[in-house]
Order: sequence, then C-alpha cells, then structure tokens
Amino acid sequence: MKATTLLKGSAAALLLCGTSLSAEELTIWTINYTSDRQVSALTAAEAEFEALMPGVDVEIVMRGTDEHKTALRVAAGSDTGPDIYAYWAGLGLGGEYVQAGLSTDLSPYYESYGWSDRLTAPSQAFSESFAEGKHGIPFRFSGEAVYYNKELFAKAGIESEPQTYEELKEAAVALKAAGIPAFTFGGTVNWHVMRLMDVILETTCGVDKHDALMAMELDWATEPCALEAFTEMKWWTDDHFLKPFMGIDNRQSTTLWFANRAAMMLEGDWHVPTIDENADMENFGLFPFPTGTGRLYGFAEYMYVSTKSDQADLAAKFLDMFTSDEFQTAHLGAFGALSVNKNVKQGDDALALHREWLEVFAQAEGTFVNGDQAFPLDVTTEYFRVINELASGDLEPQAAADAMAGFISNH
Amino acid sequence: MTLISRFRSPRTQGILLLTPALGVYAMFAIWPMIDVLILSFQDWNGITENREWVGLRNYYHILYNDPVFWVAFKNTFIWTVLSVVIPPLLGLGLALGLNQKLILRAPLRAIYYLPVIIAPIAVATMWRWMYDPFFGLFAQLLADLGLSSWAVDWLGDRDVALYSIFVAYVWQNVGFSMVLFLAGLQSVDSSLIDAAHIDGANRRQVFKNVTLPALRPTITIVLVLSTISSLKAFDIIYGMTGGGPAQSTQMLALWAFTQSMEIFDYGRGSAVSVVLLLLTLAVVIPYMRWSQKQESDAQ
Repeated sequence: MKATTLLKGSAAALLLCGTSLSAEELTIWTINYTSDRQVSALTAAEAEFEALMPGVDVEIVMRGTDEHKTALRVAAGSDTGPDIYAYWAGLGLGGEYVQAGLSTDLSPYYESYGWSDRLTAPSQAFSESFAEGKHGIPFRFSGEAVYYNKELFAKAGIESEPQTYEELKEAAVALKAAGIPAFTFGGTVNWHVMRLMDVILETTCGVDKHDALMAMELDWATEPCALEAFTEMKWWTDDHFLKPFMGIDNRQSTTLWFANRAAMMLEGDWHVPTIDENADMENFGLFPFPTGTGRLYGFAEYMYVSTKSDQADLAAKFLDMFTSDEFQTAHLGAFGALSVNKNVKQGDDALALHREWLEVFAQAEGTFVNGDQAFPLDVTTEYFRVINELASGDLEPQAAADAMAGFISNH
Repeated sequence: MTLISRFRSPRTQGILLLTPALGVYAMFAIWPMIDVLILSFQDWNGITENREWVGLRNYYHILYNDPVFWVAFKNTFIWTVLSVVIPPLLGLGLALGLNQKLILRAPLRAIYYLPVIIAPIAVATMWRWMYDPFFGLFAQLLADLGLSSWAVDWLGDRDVALYSIFVAYVWQNVGFSMVLFLAGLQSVDSSLIDAAHIDGANRRQVFKNVTLPALRPTITIVLVLSTISSLKAFDIIYGMTGGGPAQSTQMLALWAFTQSMEIFDYGRGSAVSVVLLLLTLAVVIPYMRWSQKQESDAQ
C-alpha cells in the first residue's frame, strides 16, 4: 500500500516537473507604473493570459524609465531579452529599434486578429512610420495638459480657466500675488521641466517653426521664436515655480501639489488615477496648455514583439488579449482617459477628469510630441542641460539658444 | 626530466594554479579594456551590426565640442583633491583617538567603520532623503532652530551640489582610512615613543618626529587608494544627482556611463573611459613601481 502511494506520489511529482519544464515562458519588459490601477491592470493581464493559455508562464518585468531603456539596449546586443517590450513610439525611441530591425513585422497578426479595425486611427499611426509593415501595437495614447487646484485658483481670484497664453500668465501673476506658486515641477528628472519648454515653444513658434526646430532644420540661435521661448521659460522659472525644484523629482513634486503648495502641474491623462487615489478629485480641473495652435501635447506607447523572440505567435496572442474589448473595458482608465480600442468608451460613470480629457482629445487638431521623443538622444541630453541651466538662473535666454544651436551644428 | 617531475616543479605548479585566474582576468578585465579602446575609435549605437571606424573623431568631439566633458574633468579633479585630503585627515584623527585606551574603543571602531560596508547606492538613497529641501533631515533641523533661511537646495543648487555629495562620500569612506591608519599605528614601535618621552619630547613632537615617519608607508597607501577610488567615483553621484543639476555634478566615470548607456553613443563613452584610464594609470603606475621597490628593499 505504502509502495503504491509512493509510486503514485513520485509519478505525480514527475508529471508536475514535466509540466513546469515544458511550460512556455512569455517575458514582457515595461516601465514602472506609479498608480495602483496601472500595476493591477498589468498583473491582471499576466493572470488572465495564463488562465487563457494553460502551461504558459507570463513574466512582466518592470523597471525605472532609464533602467528600462538601458536594459533594452543591452538586450539588443545579445541573444537574450524579452519577447515583448513596451516603448514610446517616437522616432528617437521605439522608431530607432524598428529601423534597426529589432521589432517583428506584425502585419500578419494585424490581419488575422483584425487589429486595424479594432484600434483607433491616431494610436496606430506610428506602426507604419519607420519601416515596411506594421511594427508594434499601441497600448496607450496619452495627452498632456495643465491640471489645476480649484481651491487655490479661487483663493487667487481666478474665476475661469485660462483660454490664451496671456490669460495663463495673468493667472500666474494673480497666484503669485496671493502667495501661491503657479507650477510645481521636479528638476531631477529632466523631462519634467522640459514639458513646459515644449509647450512654450509651440506657443511662441507655432506649428511649422516648432516642428522645424525639433527636426533641427531651423537655427535655434537666429530664430526669434526660439529666443522668445527661452525668455518666456525664464519668466516662469524665475518667479512662478514652487522652489526649490531642481533637487526634487516628479513624485515629490506631485506630493507637494497634493499638499496645496502650488496651483498647477503639467501632466498626462495617466495622472487621473493618481489624483483619484490621493486626493479629492472634485478639487481639480484641467485645461490644455493654451498654445494657440490647437494641437494636443502627447505621445503613444507601444508594445513591440522582439525579433529575437521565438514565440511571436504567443506574443501576438497576448497582445490580442491585452487590446481586446473585454480586457480594455475591464481596465478602462488605468493607463489614460482613452482606450486604444475604438469599441471601448468611457461610460456615464467615468471619473470627472476622464470626461474632461475626452473633451480635450475631441477638440485637438493634431498632436506634437515631447522634446525627448523628437530629438536624437544626445541632443535631448543637451536640451535638458540647457533648460536646467536656464531654469537655475545660470544661463541667459540668448546663451541658451546659442548653446542649442552650437550643439546641433556639431551633431 | 620526466613528465611527472615537471609537474612536481614549483614553477609548473605555479603556472597551473595561475592559469584559470589569468583566463578569467583576461576575459573579464583585459579583453573589455581592449574592446573599449577599439570602440573609442568607432561609431556605434549598440543596436546596429556595423561599427564604423571614425579615427580620432570621438576624441575630438569630447575635447572640443562636448559641453559637459570639461565640467566632468574639473569635477573629477576637485573631487580627487578633496578625497585625498579630507577623508585621510579625518581618518588619521579618528585612528589616533581610537588608538588610545578608551572605554568602548572596540564598539566605537566598529561604528566608524560601519558605513564602509554599506552599498554606495544605499548611502546615496539615505543622504538624498536627508537632503530633501522640503521634508529632509537638514531642512527640518534648520527649521526647528529657526534658521530656515540657511536652508539651500543641497542637491539642486549647482554651487553646492557637488560638495553635498562629497559630505556623504566622506561619511562613508572615512572609516576606510581610519582602519588603515589604525593598522599602521600598531607598527609604531612603542619603545621609540617611550624613549622620546624620556628625552623630554612633548606629544606634538612625538607625533611629528616618531609616529608620522613610522606611518609614511601607510600614508602613501591611503593616498594612492583614495586617489584611485576618487577617480572611479560613480555610484554615489549616480544615486544622489545622476550628474545633475544641468550636468553640474558630472564626473568622468559617470559621463562615460551616460554617453554609453543612456545616450547610447558607445564610441564617445569609450573615448571618455580611455581618458579616465590614462589618468588612473598616471597614478597607479608610479604607485606600483614604488610598492615593488619597497618589496625588493624589504627582501
């Protein structure tokens, strides 16, 4: 009897070992997410896909933004790495990997799963931008706008949302008079302060010149709108930022904003769950930065299938589940106001700020991307340095414009 | 000579014992150094298969067109000078104090040495929080003392950020110098000190004429190791400021890493690494020659 039990037990153990040895593994690399809802959505994707595909083990590896970029670059030069990687879709980021042949052409899967019909047009626009075929699938299409604290606006006597850049500056002056800094930013992460420079450039230069400056086709030193943008940036950083800001990061800046230490933040639609989880949403509103061009400041994030993965079919099945009506409905709002799935829309029970975002998206006349997605990486690093020097008061606007022009001319 | 007797010869056994270590060293230290040297003459972004040969272009760029290289060079120089002076002086002071017959001498030695065994990145995280301009320890202390106006953006003000990081570096590294000096003090012949006292020398004269000369080999080792360690300074700066604000706390080691692993320009990153390697060799080679001479003199 005992021998039989032992045999049965051994057989079961062997079976389990065999199962685990033969289990397929699907590895996904992505950045860290701050909101509980975003992390929950990823965890749910892992669990749901494993339930859908018994024997498949999904591992989602999350890293800080810079660590994610570095890990991916190191993996690109070796035979190891993820099956799927999440990345920003701009030329300087995801586009570079597509051009280097590190993203699998997903055209057959777009066709067999009907993704082209499922996904919104703006979100999938990047899939064909950098190489033949279709590369990556969007999982997030984000806009960035100004969030403001209604209580602090009222305290400063501001009765309506600024509609023009001049009105925004008047609001900043009124806030300062009431002892309230207009904006809070975290300077240690360079891209946070950069956002203000990006939208000011759009404001002072307009669509064509702004795009030409970011494409490095115009001379930053001699173009008057570039100098004006740096001058405006200095106006904001000198007198209308919560200080000190160079020694804190975006998360500390958000904490200070929740503590009513500043009136506004320039953040993306992904910020809504963070507000919902940390503060009374009724006290916050949002409006697009009044650039005057009508374009929305934003970008897309994609999931790409690595050409080094030997499990493209399995990876595509995961992406199909992730962008499906069911999954997107269950996690609507986790990654932003809009779903990339055109069949999934916010209902009447949507969060108030998500409803405001839908209006912002609906009214946008095109988009422009963040500076760190538009420039090559070395120019981005110099752009960060110049903005930070200006913001710290160590560089005058003309010197800032000259520094950008000088670096680009040597690029 | 038979094969067995050859295996028994100390020379063969020595070679056999060294071979595995040499192999590992060649693969993980020598070859990467050679590869970095080759890369410094190439243009490579890490993902394309081709590495284009560009001659001295990367060196020309970092020396003449890179707005950060000379900032990093200057910071590395300042950091090295400070590292060679301040931690060894403090370490010597602590060693002299803790060489006396004090109560709790052993626990005190352990306490001062403790920061040395903490990972630099953990030290960076800890100090970054203490330096937080709104909620950090120093901001709170100054506020409690009514001295809020003295508070600065410790890590955000380019005029003080490098020195703020250096304070954390000293806190972590002073124990290392202290332990070396303590070891050196054990070799000072107590009979010489007693003789000097009998001859009427005061404490300052004993220190200057007996203790300090006896510590000369230790001082040399401490200074050379401090110089090498300061030239390699990376993790504590990466953890505290990442080279900011506006690249004002960049160091050569960190800038080489940033160029290679964040900007993904491996050619320029390697060129910065080669410059740093040459600077380090300029310190290490004289040290090695000196230590070899000491060894041969002792024999």
